[in-house]
Amino acid sequence: MQIGKISLHTAKAAEQAASQNNASQSKSVSNPFGVSFKGNVIQADVFQSSAQKASSGIAEKGKLFASAVVSGINNFNEAFKSRMNSIVSFGKKVTSNVFDTIEKIGNTEIKFDMEGIKNKLFPDREYSVKNLSNKPVDELKTMWSGLRQESTQAV
Amino acid sequence: MDNNKKIKNIIQALGEHKDSQAAIELLTEFGTNSPDDDIRELTAQTLIRKNTHESLRVVLISQGKGINDLSARVAMASINELLSLKDKSEAVKILDDTIKMHSDEDVRNTARSVRALMTFSS
Repeated sequence: MQIGKISLHTAKAAEQAASQNNASQSKSVSNPFGVSFKGNVIQADVFQSSAQKASSGIAEKGKLFASAVVSGINNFNEAFKSRMNSIVSFGKKVTSNVFDTIEKIGNTEIKFDMEGIKNKLFPDREYSVKNLSNKPVDELKTMWSGLRQESTQAV
Repeated sequence: MDNNKKIKNIIQALGEHKDSQAAIELLTEFGTNSPDDDIRELTAQTLIRKNTHESLRVVLISQGKGINDLSARVAMASINELLSLKDKSEAVKILDDTIKMHSDEDVRNTARSVRALMTFSS
């Protein structure tokens, strides 16, 4: 078949061209390990020298240390913030409790019956002219009436 | 403190009370009708010291009260209190009206005697 011949011929020609190309590339690229690769060799130099490795190691350590410090600072800040928040919330709670207590005390009416206490301590004080003159006349009438009844019963 | 002393203190308090009208009414109702001479005497003196038309009328023209009291001690104490008043004008006016117009002769005679005393003492 004409078509099959052409295709086989074309495939062989492509193989030959590829082998020639590989050979030319392997000659131009240096291989430090002395190992031949069947595939394409990477053009970029990905290997680093030992000196470069040492210097970069120190830098990496510095970076790691710095990052550790930064993360440590961040952690400290977060911990500090959380503790401060808890302290602030505690302070607010205490303050609100204190204000509530003060408000409760302010709203609580404390009454002392000072007149009653004085009259208990000094029984004659209730019938002192000064104390009686401040009482309403109706109350004085009730007191007088009670005293009159007591005097009548005694007789 | 006995009850008599307590009542005397109430009478004195009524003499100084701000509600003068109510105080006079209570003194007239309880004080001048008390069976105790001391209470009646103190009541009459308190009413005279108030020196108002209402308080003086009670002790000058009422039978058995103030200067007309059956107890000579109460009547004399009332007359002495009248004589010691600085301003006797209201008392003199009531006595003059009593002498002229009162229906009871004993009351008129007593008023006339007291009026004479007041005239001589001033």
